[in-house]
Amino acid sequence: MIFLLAGNPNVGKSTFFNFVTQSHVHVGNYSGVTVEKRVHHIKDYEGANLVDLPGTYNVSPTSEDEGVVTYSLLNEHYNGIVNIIDSTHLKRNLHLTVQLLELGVPSLLVLNLKDALRNNGYIIDEKKLASILNVNVINISARERNKEDQLAIVDELKNLRARKSINLNYPQHIKWGMQRIHDLLRHDTIQVKKKWVALQILEGNEGIFNSYDISKEEKIREVVQEVEKRIIKDEVAFSLKGAIFNTRRQFINEIVEECLIQVEEKEHSKYYNQKIDRYLTHPALGLPIFFAIMLFVYQVSFGTFLGLGTWLTDYFTIFYDNVIIGYTSQFLEFIGIEGFAHGLVVDGILAGIGGVLVFLPQIVVLFFMLAILEGTGYMARVAIVMDRFLSKFGFNGKSIVPIITGFGCSVPAIMATRTIADKKERMLTILTIPFVSCSARLPLYGIFISVFFDKYRAPMILGLYILGILVMLLSAKFLSLSYFKGSGSKFILEVPQYRMPQLRTITYQAFEKAKRFVKKAGTFILVGSIILWIFSNVGTTGINISQEDSLLSVVAGFVAPIFYPLGFGNWQATSSLISGFLAKEVIVSSLEILYMGDISTGFSTLQALTYVVFASLYVPCISTVATIKSETGSAKWTIFSVIYPFVIAYSVAMIVRLIFMPFL
Amino acid sequence: MMMNITDMNKMDKAVIKSIRNLDKSFQERLMDLGVYESANIILLNKLAFNKLFLIEVDEIEICLRKEDAMMIEVVL
Repeated sequence: MIFLLAGNPNVGKSTFFNFVTQSHVHVGNYSGVTVEKRVHHIKDYEGANLVDLPGTYNVSPTSEDEGVVTYSLLNEHYNGIVNIIDSTHLKRNLHLTVQLLELGVPSLLVLNLKDALRNNGYIIDEKKLASILNVNVINISARERNKEDQLAIVDELKNLRARKSINLNYPQHIKWGMQRIHDLLRHDTIQVKKKWVALQILEGNEGIFNSYDISKEEKIREVVQEVEKRIIKDEVAFSLKGAIFNTRRQFINEIVEECLIQVEEKEHSKYYNQKIDRYLTHPALGLPIFFAIMLFVYQVSFGTFLGLGTWLTDYFTIFYDNVIIGYTSQFLEFIGIEGFAHGLVVDGILAGIGGVLVFLPQIVVLFFMLAILEGTGYMARVAIVMDRFLSKFGFNGKSIVPIITGFGCSVPAIMATRTIADKKERMLTILTIPFVSCSARLPLYGIFISVFFDKYRAPMILGLYILGILVMLLSAKFLSLSYFKGSGSKFILEVPQYRMPQLRTITYQAFEKAKRFVKKAGTFILVGSIILWIFSNVGTTGINISQEDSLLSVVAGFVAPIFYPLGFGNWQATSSLISGFLAKEVIVSSLEILYMGDISTGFSTLQALTYVVFASLYVPCISTVATIKSETGSAKWTIFSVIYPFVIAYSVAMIVRLIFMPFL
Repeated sequence: MMMNITDMNKMDKAVIKSIRNLDKSFQERLMDLGVYESANIILLNKLAFNKLFLIEVDEIEICLRKEDAMMIEVVL
């Protein structure tokens, strides 16, 4: 048995999902759409799975996430729908409910946040609601994780039957259009009710045409236009979608009138929000408060003072080097594996994976703290504070969360862009995030600064960070003026109530992200490390050669002339950059190996400056590129995401070289 | 003269008259959040030096940019 879980964003869908399913049993991705869906076993219901669809206000897609819902309803095999709604926002939530009930498949309506509604002084007459909507209704509070509620839900699901779909009294024009489209669909095979499909097409649901090869598509589109024309002409509404919306709204208002009962006069809690918000979104104070909070978050994750993340990473590194690498090495020697194969496993694979894996504790701490900020509702306030500034560069206020995450690691940062509804703004954010100095670039800065710029430690490191931010902003501006010109640049943000985040949900979110980080980074680093190690240990003359005869030096020597104008066109510097494509930390370890532990022999001060500037901005690492590919689903933009920063880095490094040439 | 959201004072209540001056996809996003013709709104606050407008519709707080708030016609 398969059930789909649908609901608006922010209604406690994840909490509900974790409540009714065995959260640690992962069934895997459901079907071949770009945005991932979670599928878990339902507790106490043998053989039944629940599919977590992205939060949506509407069946017809306005963002990528929402497209998944239409796709699933039309193409997946399922036995029923579980529609979860926020009882405190019935009016808005019921729009999705109405659309799902029009579909006429077995459905369970879950009224969540029962306790919050009661705190506001209201209750819902669920029996009346069930009879008006002709659907099974259950009233719960998922946060409380009440065992009786959970068993009641299972019981409802086991006895879920198809009911007659609800029929709203749409205006004549729409009924006419539905009938016409229904007739035009008669030769197409569609697994859901054709009348529902007809209404969705009238509403402008492009997902229908994407999912099915509809034979009379052109004729159907003509009908839609005709209906829209008549509706505007007869002043039924300002648009076709508006007319459908109005009918539903009227229906919903009547339901709410009848079923929502006030039992107690209560002071509204919502204005309470404003008092804190007066400071948090204050035009002058908002920004400093935000920076102070972020400084704290970074200090705890990456800093030395209060540095929980750094502390964990240090111990993890010791454990990894001594236990994992140490014992594996001894074990291999014990069973008689030495030389090339031993080197490949220990110095290639384990060292390569370790270079990235040691950052895991820091990243988990960062994710955990960001999840807390997100869970409380503070991030929405930050979006408000940052919107004016960021919109000047073509970003959206919502880009701030990915950008902040980008200081830790570009991979989760790019995944976090999913909340940006506008496609162009999302693409812009994805493409420019890699310019932000991620934590993997710190070792590179550290070593160059200590060797070449010891007197100017603080200004140098600050300068490199600011350079990254400036390049991100300016290149976003450039892209928004050129290719992404005329981007809608709309900002509409629902400001959620402050909520006490639940430890269980936050931990789950943080670990889920960490798991993806390990999986994505792990696979690429593994393959990459093997290739890199082989290339630097195999030459045209065979194995066990000096590094100067390795394939890596041959290849790098071939590429090196590109960097003559920048002043560091030798094979060592170049091959470090090539291996840096695997992970930015690898640049440092390669340089250490290739210059036998003394980088100062390889660069003049000017060369060092140019090199570190170039290395901080050039191509994103391979995990990032893979993430860009999976998030954009476009080979074109993935290639662009590699070439564009390269060109920018080259230009910036050249400018820096020319500026500092007279002084260094 | 038709009023729009930016003409309202803090804590004013109003009814939305029209959102048709906005482009279609934005209208749809507003509708999803409950901002539609004949909806009751309250202007809760003006933020970021009056560049952002925080309104309440159906007990939900929504933040809009000035450019868009100007396009939403209301009557008090």
